Amino acid sequence: MDYIDYYKILDLKKSATIDDVKKAYRKLARKYHPDLNPNNEEANKKFQQINEANEVLSDPEKRKKYDKYGKDWQHADQLDAQQRQRSQYQSQGGGYGGGGGYSGGFGGDDFSDFFSSMFGGGGGRSSRNSPFKGQDYNADLQLNLKDAYTTHKQTLTVNGRQVRITIPAGVENGQKIKLPGYGAPGANNGQPGDLYIKFNISEDPKFKRKGNDIYIQEEIDVYTAILGGEKIVETLNGKVKLKIPAGTQPEATLRLKGKGFPVYKKDDQFGNLYIKWQVKLPTELSAEQKELFEKLSKS
Amino acid sequence: MKNNLIAVHDICVYHHVEIDFIQSLEDFGLIKTTTQKQSIFLTFDELSKLERYVRLAKDLNINLEGLHAISHLLNQVENMQAEIRGLQAELKHYKQFN
Repeated sequence: MDYIDYYKILDLKKSATIDDVKKAYRKLARKYHPDLNPNNEEANKKFQQINEANEVLSDPEKRKKYDKYGKDWQHADQLDAQQRQRSQYQSQGGGYGGGGGYSGGFGGDDFSDFFSSMFGGGGGRSSRNSPFKGQDYNADLQLNLKDAYTTHKQTLTVNGRQVRITIPAGVENGQKIKLPGYGAPGANNGQPGDLYIKFNISEDPKFKRKGNDIYIQEEIDVYTAILGGEKIVETLNGKVKLKIPAGTQPEATLRLKGKGFPVYKKDDQFGNLYIKWQVKLPTELSAEQKELFEKLSKS
Repeated sequence: MKNNLIAVHDICVYHHVEIDFIQSLEDFGLIKTTTQKQSIFLTFDELSKLERYVRLAKDLNINLEGLHAISHLLNQVENMQAEIRGLQAELKHYKQFN
């Protein structure tokens, strides 16, 4: 769990009174209340944080624990018990401190519980034996568009450990997935951290993706555009034969429903494929062709 | 029809609100109750409106006049959001051809 500074959330000083907490809560709740911010995820999240901060800071008992233990305040009773046990053990002449020489040597009380939990504890404070979750790992995975088109498995090596993952079709560029328990091992029997994998999908020179839709450009000659015809076009899942109607205008767009990108984690749902026709004009005309075009222009 | 109605008495007990509060909301035109055989009911749609007003009144200490103003402004926000969504879809449609 991340450390959340409840004072900062409510924009309060540590010396704030209960009344200050209530006033700050009401002020922010009026701003971020979900009923006053329809369809606003950000406000919703903020309101939850404000509520949590208010719940802790407006209750003297909870606030005392929070001030003492920071993010571990909910385990304050356990931590207190551990601390009592340890001081009893040390006063009986045992322990690693050898009579207390080391236990105060790292700044003693100035070294906060928050930092000692982050850095493993140098001052022998209360959280030394409490379990901590291992560090989360982040990894980037490079895919091309065709990889992202189908559900497939890949094996990654993260910190010397082989991780086999299934990548669902339709994954987005920049999307992150979480693999619980694949991070660093926890301390003091704490649970391991998580592995976050971010997908970087490289752009394809032919197929442009926008959400679940795919856009391509295809060339047709001027005769096909005017007289109509057929063309075989390559899509992401094979070739299709398309009929081109007579009189097709340059840059006209054709939509092929369901021939686009698969919708993430929705079986058998696909976006559309849009094909923009690029009409290619002949550049070198024979004398006969030129004559025919001239006749056409005069007809 | 009756299956879609919830007795106001039950709502008052569940949400710990006075019947006067519900009557006042109706006087302000914020919700609409239905009377059948001398009992007062709310439809599901009206119930969700009522629950919103109860939350606002309890969480933020907003009085009836305030709820009335909020209701009016929220309607405007929702209409504008719908309009923005429509315009964004239209814009997206035109952008794909550029």
